[in-house]
Amino acid sequence: MTTTPTGCPVHPRVLPTDGTPLEPSPVLGEWREEGPATPLHYTDGHDGWIVTRHELARRVLEDPRFSQQPQRIPGETIPGGPELPYLDDEALASKRVANLLFLDGEAHSRVRRILMARFSVRAGRSQQPAIAAIVARQVAHLLTVGSPADLMAEFAAPISAAVHRLILGIPDARADEFARLFLSEAPVQDRVLFARAVIEQKRTDLDEDVLSDLIRSDLSAGEIDWVALVLMISGRDAAAYMMATSLLALLRHPDQLAALRDDPDLMGGAVEEFMRYGTMFVALFARTATEDVELGDTRFAAGESVSVSAVAANRDPQRFENPDEFDITRDAFGHLGFGHGIHGCLGQQIARIEIREAVGQLLAALPAVKLVSAEQLNPLPFAHPVATYSAGSVIVEWS
Amino acid sequence: MRVNVDTAACIGAGQCALVAPDVFDQDDDGIVMLLNAAPSEPEHAATRRAAALCPARVIVVDESE
Repeated sequence: MTTTPTGCPVHPRVLPTDGTPLEPSPVLGEWREEGPATPLHYTDGHDGWIVTRHELARRVLEDPRFSQQPQRIPGETIPGGPELPYLDDEALASKRVANLLFLDGEAHSRVRRILMARFSVRAGRSQQPAIAAIVARQVAHLLTVGSPADLMAEFAAPISAAVHRLILGIPDARADEFARLFLSEAPVQDRVLFARAVIEQKRTDLDEDVLSDLIRSDLSAGEIDWVALVLMISGRDAAAYMMATSLLALLRHPDQLAALRDDPDLMGGAVEEFMRYGTMFVALFARTATEDVELGDTRFAAGESVSVSAVAANRDPQRFENPDEFDITRDAFGHLGFGHGIHGCLGQQIARIEIREAVGQLLAALPAVKLVSAEQLNPLPFAHPVATYSAGSVIVEWS
Repeated sequence: MRVNVDTAACIGAGQCALVAPDVFDQDDDGIVMLLNAAPSEPEHAATRRAAALCPARVIVVDESE
């Protein structure tokens, strides 16, 4: 427990739920004013820290003295720990060794190195035409649906699912099954069975994709299944969230929208500003200090859990001038919208292309697009189970 | 300016190849590749930026040379 100089205990705070993607909770700003890290009462019942200032956030995410173990998820809604979903024995065994989100050091880099090839800047460039084609198909679909339409359901979510299948190498014939199991709630065991079936099918049909690379690697069969599952789950919803939220930010800031229409060369920098301004992660997965760690004036004791608020860090006035202003011409690089450190988003170069294509093609196809309503302009429950803002529907009309 | 990269610690995020493409690239495995270990003046700002952005801190810029 932290104490003030007078000896009064400071009661740890809980994560504020009154924010929205474009207007994060003011409470995060108050905490950031007070200090780089704030005591936080995690919803699973334990007390730890949340980091709100950019400088300390970076340092925590870069520091190998923090471990991903045990798995602690800020915003987990079930006090006393969640009831674990059913998994068969084989799945339980592979989960222990192959969930790369919760591995440290060599165990983590062994898996990440197998995956990196398909996520480089160069790999992204070679996938760019295929991603552009997916977006073009979805623009055509949106025009068929007609005005008004929900950008999330008819545009962003289907694009993210198709790009996910493209990069991973999930066969087209399984598109509907993938959507049913991964775009809405489904039992984890059903997702495990899907991942296993896809891997089994691809063993005899290797191609130039991530799942084929996994099969070619020296990972065990159990590890391959679980890494495949983690990849099928991770990032797909985040990419959809970012496309919808980026478009919403532009529609809410007509000057910025006009600037981008006038000069499409601004798009590269604009994507970084979308990531900074519309950040999804109120709190990243908590790290645990493996020893006493002193960073600047902040001291974390061994065993304490420390979560970084990417949302708060990306609005830190010491790092970004007028942080609450949406300005697509600013230099927003260095934001923590893709996380940072060795667990930084693996798919970030693909995501950049996806967002750029989606925003660019939509604006080109709909010169008179207008916002009707967006659920995320009011606070929504965090996207379970991680403390992330939810995108909700974004309804637009055009003539 | 001299640039060094620790390829063993690279995590392939690609920030360097994105912001300083004349100095950094990624090989077929996604690992950082140094295109120019002694970038000339016009590349210095982008090189420093790449080093600062690297999520695994594998780029070391020596300004003394």
